[in-house]
Amino acid sequence: MSVTNKITVKRAEIAVAVILALCSIALMIKSAENRITWNAEENMGAGFLPFYLSLGMLICTVLTIIKFVLKRSPQSKDDSPFIEAEAFKYIAVTIISLVILVLAIGYLGIYFSLIFFLAFYLRYFSSKSILFISVFSLITPVLTFLFFEWLLKIPLPQGISEPLFYPVYDFMYS
Amino acid sequence: MDVFILLLEGIFVSFEPLNLGLLIFGCLIGLFVGAMPGLGSVNGVAILIPITFIIPPTAAIIFLAAVYYGAMYGGAISSVMLGIPGASTAVATVFDGRPLAVKGEAMTALTAAAVGSFVGGTVSVILFTLFAPPLAEVALRFNAPETFALMVMAFATFVGLGGDDVPKTIFSILIGLALSTIGLDLITGKPRLIFFNIPGFLHGINFLVLAIGIYGIGEMLWTLEETKGKVQMSKLSVNMKEVGRAFGALKKTIMAMNIGSFLGFFVGILPAAGATPASLMSYGITKQLSKNSKEFGSGVPAGVVAPECANNSASTGSMLPMLTLGIPGSPTTAILLGGMILWGLTPGPLLFTQEPEFVWGLIGSLYIANFFTLVLNIALIPAFLMVLRIPFAILAPVIFVLCVTGGYAPTQSLHDVWLMLLFGFAGYILRKLDYPVAPAVLSIVLGPLAEKALRQSLILSDGSMGIFFDMAEKPIAAIIMYIAIVLLIMPAFGPLYRKYIKKKQTT
Repeated sequence: MSVTNKITVKRAEIAVAVILALCSIALMIKSAENRITWNAEENMGAGFLPFYLSLGMLICTVLTIIKFVLKRSPQSKDDSPFIEAEAFKYIAVTIISLVILVLAIGYLGIYFSLIFFLAFYLRYFSSKSILFISVFSLITPVLTFLFFEWLLKIPLPQGISEPLFYPVYDFMYS
Repeated sequence: MDVFILLLEGIFVSFEPLNLGLLIFGCLIGLFVGAMPGLGSVNGVAILIPITFIIPPTAAIIFLAAVYYGAMYGGAISSVMLGIPGASTAVATVFDGRPLAVKGEAMTALTAAAVGSFVGGTVSVILFTLFAPPLAEVALRFNAPETFALMVMAFATFVGLGGDDVPKTIFSILIGLALSTIGLDLITGKPRLIFFNIPGFLHGINFLVLAIGIYGIGEMLWTLEETKGKVQMSKLSVNMKEVGRAFGALKKTIMAMNIGSFLGFFVGILPAAGATPASLMSYGITKQLSKNSKEFGSGVPAGVVAPECANNSASTGSMLPMLTLGIPGSPTTAILLGGMILWGLTPGPLLFTQEPEFVWGLIGSLYIANFFTLVLNIALIPAFLMVLRIPFAILAPVIFVLCVTGGYAPTQSLHDVWLMLLFGFAGYILRKLDYPVAPAVLSIVLGPLAEKALRQSLILSDGSMGIFFDMAEKPIAAIIMYIAIVLLIMPAFGPLYRKYIKKKQTT
């Protein structure tokens, strides 16, 4: 039995509800760093709203868990896989490549990271030729640069590649 | 008469070169965004809003409204040709649009969708022009208690009319509100919920980060799972004879047009409803009232016209509360409302007096956009079909690039890009488990406004919550609050009512 078959909708429903309940408790604790009281004499404490909103979230997740235990929700009776094996490949590779992309942006800068991201993604998932992938992966960052840096004047992160762009800026603003 | 003059001025505003250019460009992008499976108006608007920072607010709203509008037209293209709704608003279009395409009458379905959208759009814009000024005038008398009551009602409609699991819906509303409290407290100035002392949280969570995360990254993950990166398309022959034949088939759809246009508009006004339920309801009612109800589902033009009329009409309807009350009527208008705040405007009735060019420019542009989208839609069908052949595995990374750059641009902080990824992944998982995500987006937009209105009201009342229920002092706030309470407890009566009906049927 593969991992994806073991993670059924039923298991995912209860796992997510428990995680959300824990997150709600964490939010309540964090909110309590500020004053969470409120009465007619003193203004509402800075933590009052976030605390009671998180308490509300906790109550909702507890209700979801109760519905699950009583088998009142459709998910509590659903033994089908939460995600099919083939689709899992798409989702997992996409998420991992996006995380690596954002990590790379901080170091390499956005334009070079995009080249690698697009080349990898298209090579992995599409059946396009190397030539198509190369041109596509180079043109997209160039268009992104022109749009943001030249048209919108919004600088995107360039990391260690920043010095390479100085001549381009000199040309653009000369 | 005044309205007519203001409308004419608005139409002139939308004919200014920059505005007209952006309007046509917006219609085109909207058609494209709507046509692509997995992308709808809300995704298009969320991803594109960061690029509107350099243009004036009037041009920005005209552009984004055109995207919204175009997407309503475009959704039908993939519903008919691929059998996959281009957006949730075009789900009902698949019911009869796809069977028509399978029978070889795809052109009839596409023409019915385009004309239906045009009729729905036109009727709703006229209704909008008539209703907006008086409603704004009433809303001008609203103070903090009425504003807060309205926001509570907006949240309550999701619970009462959303049709989703109640605890999950309330959870979604509350998490959106809780996320909106992150950052500096607006009264005491104290930092709230600064996780791990990361300075990025001090400026709060921009609604765009959540919106792009959920509707950009999350939606792409969802669509990648559904399509596994591939497309399957019907064949289509496009010639003038086919178009003429398609127009002939529309004679029998007058009733569907009426139902779709009027029902769509009024359902669109409700905050929780929007274009998706409007189109489904319109399809259902048209089917029930039709003499040929048994033929619905096998490919009848009325089955395409009814939902398409309704989704366009609802999209205009949802802008009515956005402009007049500052309450969005749909997830897309929630993002537009957030955009107005970013552009330095205060959403609500004051816009009509303080920013008439903005308001009437938008209303005027809807008339023009409706016309252009119809023409572009029919003229560019072959081009859209080419676009639909692009495998999702190629489109998806381009959308990811737009999401990452769009998430970074507003605050120029990688912290927001990380948050956007987190929200996208969480939104995808929660959506798979039937947690509605739209209420969270609405809440993060309305959260700061609701908190401000609540705290101002409590200062007015010396801390008494009674101000929201005082029929003598604040009748409008009280009535709205009581409606909100009815909406909140309504789902509890659903099972009781079904039990009663079942009992009655057995006896």
